[in-house]
This record gives sequence, structure tokens and C-alpha cells, in this order.
Amino acid sequence: MEKGHAVYSTQTKILRGLIWVFMLFMAVLMIFPVIYIVFGSFKGNSELLVGGTNIFPKKWVFSNYSNAWQQANFARYTVNSIFLALGVMVVSLINSTMAGYVFSRRKFKGKEILYGIFVMFMFINVGSVSLRPLFELSVKLHMNKSLISVILISAGGGQATYLFLSRGFVNALPMELDEAAKIDGCTFFQIYRLVILPLLKPVMATIALLSFRQGWNEYILPLVFTMTNENLRPLTVGVNMLKNAGDGAAAWDIMFAGASIAIIPMLVIYCIFSRNFMSGMTAGAVKG
Amino acid sequence: MQKTNKGKMKISRDGLVAGLMLTPALIFLIVCSIYPFIWIFRYICYDYNGFTATFTGTRNITRMLGDKTFWNSVGHTFEYAAYKLIFIIPLSLLMAVLLNMRMKGSNLFRGMYFMPTIISTSISGMIFAFIFATKNGIANSILMDMGVIDSPIKWLMSRDWVMVTVTIMAIWGGLGNYMLYFTTGMNGLSEDVYESAKIDGANGVQTFFRITLPMLSPVLKVVLMLAITSAFKDYEAIMVLSKGGPGNRSMVMFLYIYNLIFGATDSTSQAQIGYGALLSIMAALIVGTVTIIYNIVAKKLDDVV
Repeated sequence: MEKGHAVYSTQTKILRGLIWVFMLFMAVLMIFPVIYIVFGSFKGNSELLVGGTNIFPKKWVFSNYSNAWQQANFARYTVNSIFLALGVMVVSLINSTMAGYVFSRRKFKGKEILYGIFVMFMFINVGSVSLRPLFELSVKLHMNKSLISVILISAGGGQATYLFLSRGFVNALPMELDEAAKIDGCTFFQIYRLVILPLLKPVMATIALLSFRQGWNEYILPLVFTMTNENLRPLTVGVNMLKNAGDGAAAWDIMFAGASIAIIPMLVIYCIFSRNFMSGMTAGAVKG
Repeated sequence: MQKTNKGKMKISRDGLVAGLMLTPALIFLIVCSIYPFIWIFRYICYDYNGFTATFTGTRNITRMLGDKTFWNSVGHTFEYAAYKLIFIIPLSLLMAVLLNMRMKGSNLFRGMYFMPTIISTSISGMIFAFIFATKNGIANSILMDMGVIDSPIKWLMSRDWVMVTVTIMAIWGGLGNYMLYFTTGMNGLSEDVYESAKIDGANGVQTFFRITLPMLSPVLKVVLMLAITSAFKDYEAIMVLSKGGPGNRSMVMFLYIYNLIFGATDSTSQAQIGYGALLSIMAALIVGTVTIIYNIVAKKLDDVV
């Protein structure tokens, strides 16, 4: 990368320098809201209500987090968020690898049509209205007392992308593997369990990340389902309820801390796996 | 399964297993996608508040035709989508081109541009509500410190500014996605063309307009399509940021529908599910029509170029 620099003229060098500064400026703009909220969560409420241009707290306050955790029920919300995100992840992983394997390896009547229906419903979007029948259904089945129904609906709504990802991945694996295993006496399920699944690790990592993020960030769906049940709310809903309660200006410190609790785990995961996130996003878009 | 032949039995058992393995996905498809879709049509001629449904004939349809709030929200949706696309597509393309220069720190920059996409839109709506608060928001403080403005801007409380704020948030939240699509598309372009362009003495701007852009046009078409459809569906962040206000100025159609079906967050009005269902179908038709028109236009352009 540095090798080329020697041949650049002074003019080009200045231009490149300016471009670099612009890129840095954009990067700062992009991360600014997150920096602001995370450092703001250590400010006192009075400092937040006065405002000002400083990003770092004048006086570092750590009680915002303990207040949020204990009084504002964020301990509960965090547990719910983790449960929801892990649940969506596990269901998506099992469901999409199995279905992807069958779609890739099994011949059956109407396979293409069925696959087409999966694709079609990915594009038909009627918005929040589809949550109404699902909500009424879960009330009827007495499943609205836990987050299980939220997990299943989230995983079910997002399954198409993951299905395409894993089907594409299985397609790329040579059929000889299956045939060899079959000769060794493996059944259809054993081939999946012993041969295919271990090879699916890379795409499973991607699906795991994307579905975990999906579950963690879900908002409208748990909002609707936990309207009357505060103890089931995940962080996204809990922190926004705090904003809607009262005039919204009262507890900026707790809201800042709550918003930080909601984004920091995702940020940490992103810092470690940013590459997988990006490759997963593009793969999903291309396949979808 | 009651086949006499042993070999056949093995096959059919495998078939049964395959069917079982596909069952979860099928159940999800039926319950989460097909069932709600059919359900919508059931109530379009009813007045349904979640408990009792009364048949009202065509009243929902006549109400829709005269519902100014709805048609305004459709207008706002188009307005929002236009603002978002006008800024986000060129900007994300520009950032992708600049990243493609592979200067020092490019990977880190890319990671930073993409970062907002992993944050829940509900939380980002909230963060922007803090930043753009009139009295103590940091945006006003910075602008006033720099002397750009004399008095605080009512970002979220005035009809003139709320769409600006909503657009800024939309650009922030979506830029990384589209940038990444473009970056991936550019990685697929052959290096040779750039080499020969360089030998022919083309500068950066010429290279972009004569080579990168034409070669990227298939990617651009797909990205535009994704951007258009997703812009029409956005409402989660707006719901948190401005709740569609002030005075419904930032009310987009899917937010209006949400409020009808589940009741607005800050009012006690009853849910109007039947009417909301009808509007949902209308909204889906609008999005579908826009997509089809876009595809036709894109194809026509293809024939011309």
C-alpha cells in the first residue's frame, strides 16, 4: 500500500491528504452519536438537562448505571434481551441449517414452487398489521406469558435470509461427501449431523451473528407483545417506555445509561466480529 | 411407509426424516407469513377493535378515500424516501469509492461507517431525540457555539425541521449498508480496466464516471431497488424519534397504520384494526407499484444506455 506513494506528485499527495481528512471527518460523524450517548451516561442528570458542547462528563457519575439496574428494572430487561437474542439465534441456526440441507440435497415434488413461496413472502411486507393476528393467536394458545412466542415469531419472520445463506453453502459442498457417507451406512439425518453440519461452521457463525443481532434489536414485536407485561420487556422496549413515561425530561441520566446498556454489548460483539457482520450482510443481500 | 421392499423402505424413511427436518421452516412460513397475510383480508370490511367486529360494508373504503391524514402520510412517505435516497445513495457511493483507494486506516474507517447498522433502530431513534433536543441537545449547542445559528432550532418540534432531522437519522443509520453493497460490487470489477485507464492518463474523476459507474450499474440498480423498498417501509425509528409529529408532519404511512392497529403510544384511542388492515393492503400496493415502476424505468434506461 505504501509502495505507491513515491510516484505521487505533490499535488496528488495534497489531494489524497484532503480526502483522508474528509474520510476521518465522516468516520467521526458516524460514531459521534454513540460516543455521545456512552460518555453522556456518566454525566449527572443536572448536567444533561443543562446541555452544552462537552462530550466528556464534567464530573463522572457512576450511579446512573446502578440506578437503572436496580430502580428502573434494567436487570430484568437485560436478562430478557439476552434470552430473546439467544433464543432467536438458536432457533434460526437449527431451523435454517436443517431446511437449507433438505432444500439443497433432497429432490421432491414442488420444491422450486415452495422455494419460490419463501422468496415471495420475503418481499411481501404489510408492516405491523401482521403482528395483530400473531398476537391474538399467541393469546389463544396461552403463549403470551413468556418470550417464547416473541422468539418464534422473530425467528420465523427472518428465516428466509438464513435459509438462503445455508442452502447456498450446502450447495457449494461436493455431493461426493454425502455419497461416501451413504456408502458407509449413514442415514439422511446422520449425513446432516456428522458430515454437513461440521462443515457449515463458517455460515453458521454468520447466521448466529445476524440472528443474535436481530433478536437483540427487535423492537416493535416485543413492544406489542409486552404491552401489559412489564417483566417481559427487553432493553429496547424498556428504555423507550422510560422515554414515553412522564414528560421525558425527568430522567435523562437513567435513559442514557439504559440506552448504553442496550448498545454496548452489540458494539463489543461488533468490534470482535465486524468482518463476519459485513460478509454476512452482503452474502444475504446477494443471495436474497 | 408400509412398503414391502426393503430398499424402498429406507428411501421412504429418509424422505420422512427430510420432511420432519423441513417442518419447522414450513410451520414458520405458514404461521408467520401466510396466515397473517390471509388474516388481513378477513377484516377489511369490518370495524374491529380487538374484541368485537361489526360488518360495515364499504365504509372503510369510503373512509380511506376521504382520509386526509392517511394520504398526507403517503405523501410524507414519498417525501422521506426521496430525501433519504437523494443523500444516501451518492454519499454511500462516494464513501465506497474513497475506501477503494485503500489509504491508511481504510479498514478502520469502513468499520466505523458500518457501525450504526448494528444498533437497534429504536435505540438510534432515541439517541437522535437526545441529540436534537431543542433546549439541551448537543446539536444546537455545537451549532450555536460555532455561530451558525443564533437561537436553538426546534429540530423535532417544528413542522419545518422535523423532516430534516428524520432524514439525518435515516442517512446515519443506512449509509453503512449501501456503502458495503457498493464496496462489494467494486471488488468484483477487474483491475485491468483501471490499469489501462491509468496508462491512458485518466484522472480519478474521469475514471469514476467513465469506468467505475458504468461497470457498477448492475449493482447500482439492485442497491437502488433495495433502498427504495426499505425507505418506504421505515417507521420504527421515526416512531421513537418524533412519533410522527409535530402535527403529523413526519407521519409516514406504516406508522399511521401501526397507530391504528395497536393504538398510538400517547393516546388512549381505540384500535381500528379493520381500517388499519385495509390501509396496510393499500400501502403494500403502493410499495409494489413503486417497485414495478422503478423496474420498468431501470429497464428502459438500460436499453437507452
